[in-house]
Amino acid sequence: MSRAGAHLRYFARTSLRGLRASPVTAAVGISTIGIALVLVGAFSLLLTNMEGLLDRFGDDLRVTAYLESGLPVAERAALARRVATIEGVLEVDVVSEDEALARFREGVGRASGLLAELEENPLPASLEITLAERRRTPEGMRVVVESLDGLPGVSDLAYGQEWVEGYARAVALVRGIGAGVGLVLALATLAIVANTIRLAVYARRDELEILSLVGASRPFAATPFLVEGALQGAVGGALAVVILYGLFRLILPEIEAGLSMLLGFAEPRFLTPGGVLRLIGAGAGLGLAGSAAAVFQGLRA
Amino acid sequence: MSAAPSPGESARRDALVQMYHVSKSYLPGTFALRDVTLEVAKGEFVFLTGPSGAGKTTLLKLLFAAEKPSEGQIILRGRNIARLRDSAIPGLRRRIGVVFQDFKLLANRTVEENVAVTLEVLGRPPREVRRRVFALLKQVGLQHRRHHFPLSLSGGEQQRVALARALAGEPELLLADEPTGNLDPELTLEIMDLIAHASVRGTTVIVATHDLPTVDRYGKRTLHLEAGRIKEDRAAVGVRP
Repeated sequence: MSRAGAHLRYFARTSLRGLRASPVTAAVGISTIGIALVLVGAFSLLLTNMEGLLDRFGDDLRVTAYLESGLPVAERAALARRVATIEGVLEVDVVSEDEALARFREGVGRASGLLAELEENPLPASLEITLAERRRTPEGMRVVVESLDGLPGVSDLAYGQEWVEGYARAVALVRGIGAGVGLVLALATLAIVANTIRLAVYARRDELEILSLVGASRPFAATPFLVEGALQGAVGGALAVVILYGLFRLILPEIEAGLSMLLGFAEPRFLTPGGVLRLIGAGAGLGLAGSAAAVFQGLRA
Repeated sequence: MSAAPSPGESARRDALVQMYHVSKSYLPGTFALRDVTLEVAKGEFVFLTGPSGAGKTTLLKLLFAAEKPSEGQIILRGRNIARLRDSAIPGLRRRIGVVFQDFKLLANRTVEENVAVTLEVLGRPPREVRRRVFALLKQVGLQHRRHHFPLSLSGGEQQRVALARALAGEPELLLADEPTGNLDPELTLEIMDLIAHASVRGTTVIVATHDLPTVDRYGKRTLHLEAGRIKEDRAAVGVRP
């Protein structure tokens, strides 16, 4: 076995022995990281769902250009072809007055009987414009609408821009709060983890002293503690995922009504596999950073 | 073997340790060591004696770079360790074995694991570590206790484990700070015989002690310290000063 291999074997054995030797300290470290990451994960979950809704909303995003009354069919078709050439427009459908009324009847359901009282169809013909994917943002939509505005034959434009912009602002706000809260939580966790591991380092200061006496370099003496910290962090991250999933399943039915207001009618989604791995990785990173802060301070002392 | 050699003399005599006008002060105006100049040849066995606070431990700490001198030069194998960078200290310590009065063993590791730690730091393969640890424990008469934990051993046995750990890396220099301070006379002899045996095998040995009967019994070179200064450099019995 090479020197590096012998060292790796030593690090693995010593780290596991360290965890076994002080299970209470390890449990405290794991729980601390786990609880902190539950909060970070909850924000991440909220963000994922809000962003997911925005994506799904974007798929249905359309601009409706209402046509002037009495515009001949041939001109409607010509206008549709012209609109289709506007940059950012994917597809244009012509909806006649009759089709619009039929859709309306379908939409109102049983109340459609009231429409029978109407002497004439009040609904105008329109062009339903589907945007290219790259334009399915508040900014992209504004660019397309500006190109449509003032076209001859178009009387009015309708689009949910205000709603989309409001929602995008809400997502940005939540993302900003999430990043801020995440940062504060990460720093607080780091401080707590560093202190927890500092206790472990203090309890094992004789080990560091003896390693130093027999000629171990600082990185050599520190490595088992760093591995322990990273392992505790990863387990803490996994614990956070389990707790989050439990809460997600338990609490979801209770808050579904509130969520539907926030998320629309989209079904709430749990973290993606990538999100789960990121949370576990964040735990490992926190554990590693916390132990590095504690152990190098311990070695200097 | 003199307390004040010239550098030229040292080179001729194959010195392992040379100290020139070394002082160490922990607090301004007070000195733990003051203007110490000495030389220890390769393979030599030296006792450091003196009352508590004479500077024996400080002198040993300077040699394994646990402290840096306030003044003077310390040459170990031709290298000035007074100006050693922190990153170079581990390399120095891998060539030095250190034994303390309080043994400094890891209570949660077995005898075997305590001795193995020196070899693991050196990156020796597991098979070699096992073989060498067994040989060392046999040398100190503890092979049958290799799976025991230190606290289940007597003081003398614990010090033998500490000695085996110190010798595991085949050091050029063995430093022992009151190695028999916690032991009764019978165990003291047992430990000192093992240390003397290491010297016979070529390791340079410096033992700090205030156990004068033991010093007299072995008749080795003795440096007597008082208030941080060398008061006497007594040659080994049968060796002309």
